[in-house]
Amino acid sequence: MPAADLRTQSSDAPRASSSSQDASLVVDDLCLYYGETQALKNVSLTIPKRQATAFIGPSGCGKSTLLRCFNRMNDLIDSVRVTGSISLEGQDINAKDVDVAQLRRRVGMVFQRPNPFPKSIYENVAYGMRLAGKMPKPEMDERVEWALRSAALWDEVKDRLKESALGLSGGQQQRLVIARAVAIQPSVLLLDESASALDPISTLKIEELIHQLKSDYTIVIVTHNMQQAARVSDYTAFLYLGELIEFDRTDDVFTNPKRKKTEDYITGRYG
Amino acid sequence: MLNERTLNVRAWFRSGEPWIWVNAAAVGISIAAVTGILLLIAWRGFAHFWPASVALISYESSTGEFETVLGEIADSELLPVGQYLESAGSRTEALPEGMVQVERLLIKTGNRRVEPPDFSWLVAHRIKEVRYPPDVVVLERMEWGNAYGYLTQVSADGAVVSEGAAAWQDLQHRLQRLSTQRAEIHDLEQGQLFSTNYQLERLRLERRALEMGAPEGDDPLAAAAALDAREQELLADYEVAESTLRKLRDELRREAITLTSATGRTIEVNLSDVVRAWKPNQMSWTAKLGHYGESLWIFLSDDPREANTEGGIVPAIFGTVMMVLLMSVLVTPFGVVAAVYLREYARQGAFVRLIRIAVNNLAGVPSIVYGVFGLGFFVYFLGGSLDALFYPEALPSPTFGTPGLLWASLTLALLTVPVVIVSTEEGLTRIPRSLREGSLALGATKAETLFKVVLPVASPSILTGMILAVARAAGEVAPLMLVGVVKLAPALPVDGNFPYLHLERKFMHLGFHIYDVGFQSPNVEAARPLVYATALLLVILIIFLNLTAIMLRNRLENRYRGVEG
Repeated sequence: MPAADLRTQSSDAPRASSSSQDASLVVDDLCLYYGETQALKNVSLTIPKRQATAFIGPSGCGKSTLLRCFNRMNDLIDSVRVTGSISLEGQDINAKDVDVAQLRRRVGMVFQRPNPFPKSIYENVAYGMRLAGKMPKPEMDERVEWALRSAALWDEVKDRLKESALGLSGGQQQRLVIARAVAIQPSVLLLDESASALDPISTLKIEELIHQLKSDYTIVIVTHNMQQAARVSDYTAFLYLGELIEFDRTDDVFTNPKRKKTEDYITGRYG
Repeated sequence: MLNERTLNVRAWFRSGEPWIWVNAAAVGISIAAVTGILLLIAWRGFAHFWPASVALISYESSTGEFETVLGEIADSELLPVGQYLESAGSRTEALPEGMVQVERLLIKTGNRRVEPPDFSWLVAHRIKEVRYPPDVVVLERMEWGNAYGYLTQVSADGAVVSEGAAAWQDLQHRLQRLSTQRAEIHDLEQGQLFSTNYQLERLRLERRALEMGAPEGDDPLAAAAALDAREQELLADYEVAESTLRKLRDELRREAITLTSATGRTIEVNLSDVVRAWKPNQMSWTAKLGHYGESLWIFLSDDPREANTEGGIVPAIFGTVMMVLLMSVLVTPFGVVAAVYLREYARQGAFVRLIRIAVNNLAGVPSIVYGVFGLGFFVYFLGGSLDALFYPEALPSPTFGTPGLLWASLTLALLTVPVVIVSTEEGLTRIPRSLREGSLALGATKAETLFKVVLPVASPSILTGMILAVARAAGEVAPLMLVGVVKLAPALPVDGNFPYLHLERKFMHLGFHIYDVGFQSPNVEAARPLVYATALLLVILIIFLNLTAIMLRNRLENRYRGVEG
């Protein structure tokens, strides 16, 4: 399927899924190897649309690796090899004819540490849009404001849009990075431990933000903070040593885990 | 007791205090050495322009005769007696009782060609009397250096115009008028005459090209006729300019002045040969300061005269700056592109590591080797091919197949490219991965990430590379002697004639100028202060070029501060 379709396909294309809602990402029998070592073992799960899904598990369990499969960030590492399939709204994202840049425009990502570009606040948000092509200035202004409002940052920065983004605080920078990702209107937003390097108040703000954003975007977060997973997510996946142990509604995972390993982890027996 | 002291010393050593002192001493010595060098150069160089008083010295020569010498005391030194006697040859000389050292004075007596030599050593204990007569006149001549004497008369067309005290006033007026006439001549020579000459030469080449084969569809006869017509026009222009020039020159040659030297000899100097005249023993401090400023300005703004030992060094400054700028323009993109490929695109492995080692070692190759390479490859091979392809009409006289500005800049670019590559690569490695990932995650391709994020953030490092390259290139002399620098260039590489920038021309360079004036000039003694002055200027120029680049880098660094934190 040509790459352009990947972008233009309407988000309400119906698709059967294991859960009762529409599926955004369907992972089927995914294995990933770093050279000789296998980091993901036969993972299969379906991430529902416009819900927040959390990946939890001890360090090194492969949750970040799995997340980075969704926008093919693992391509940057030479030794990585992937088998199995991932489809985004029905399309195989590992297919040969998929334009990776286009895929990443649909699957935005926010990293652990805030990484704003050394440009002005405005230019940071406009970056993704400028990549897509020319946009009239008024429209651009509007979109930047909208993105900053979505990330609950507008009121704090509206008078200093031309100033360097590096002058913002850590929490503000992280929300700016979220605004930057939201600005190009992806359908999926991946957050890779995005609240872990921040102070408690900033963390709280990010969590509130996730709560708001999930009405418009499919959100996948990686966290090793179980309270956070319980607070913000609708679904939770527990990974252990590269295997998906359990995936269910968050309430069920935390109150009534089906597997012993999940229970041990949640109750703090290891991790 | 002793034990306690050893313990104390040991504790002192362990505290690291001695280490700090050693460090501080090393820094102190370095700073002292650098300032010492600069001060020495500045003092020796800039003292040269001060209008020194002229002494009239009565002196008893070794044969017992009395002589008078008129000149500036340029230097003095102390010699051990033994060495002095040895240098005096077989002459036995009665020295004062108990003398250990002999003081010698170096006197600049000038008047070259009339009373040689123009520098002489006098032994201090034989000097009977030193006076500073107020009427002594110093003439700076176009040729043969300074003249010292007493002004007796000014004449025009062979007839005496003024004498004695009136002559000095008269001379000042005439010199003032002369300077405007001289400027006129200079403008004519460098402007119209030069440009007409240049066009005539191009016309000759066009005609030659026509003879070798006219372009398809052109009527060769008509073209030749057009050339003839243009040539007639230019020749007529040339005639007019030439006759104006001749008239101006004759005008200048009409007047002459006469000096009497200390020994009573008459020195006649054509007024057109006089650059300036002054009476140093009469000058006040402010007048001397004014004279000093004027001399300095001449040094900085005039063309050289007298085999580079007099006049200014404008062509050398201009040549140095042009070459460094051209080198920077060539080396920066080349080095950056190479570094980007090595760091961003090439598969990191043994081969790339080998290339990197080779690049680093390239920086250690002696510069003269680059000169030889530049001569062989750029000048003879590239230049020769260019000539055969594009300038066949000028052959056998080469256009690009001879050392010139372009080849010198290219050779130095090659010499400095490792520096730019290494420092750019360092800048690229320092960029955090998260920044690249941030851009890629927004749907940027690798190239877009490179141009929009990576290179801008690495730009301070690129500029650092450029600064190092400029510092190295501006000081190089050895390779330049093979690929384009000359003692005296007939024309600057930039002028008003199309195509304005003449990359094929030879040029002058401050570094080579120092070498030339210091070692190749006919009068090393007279030229030594100029060596210092030129050296100081070279240092100042390099500092200036570097500061410009450093300021630019600091501005960029401020913009990207915090990226790496």
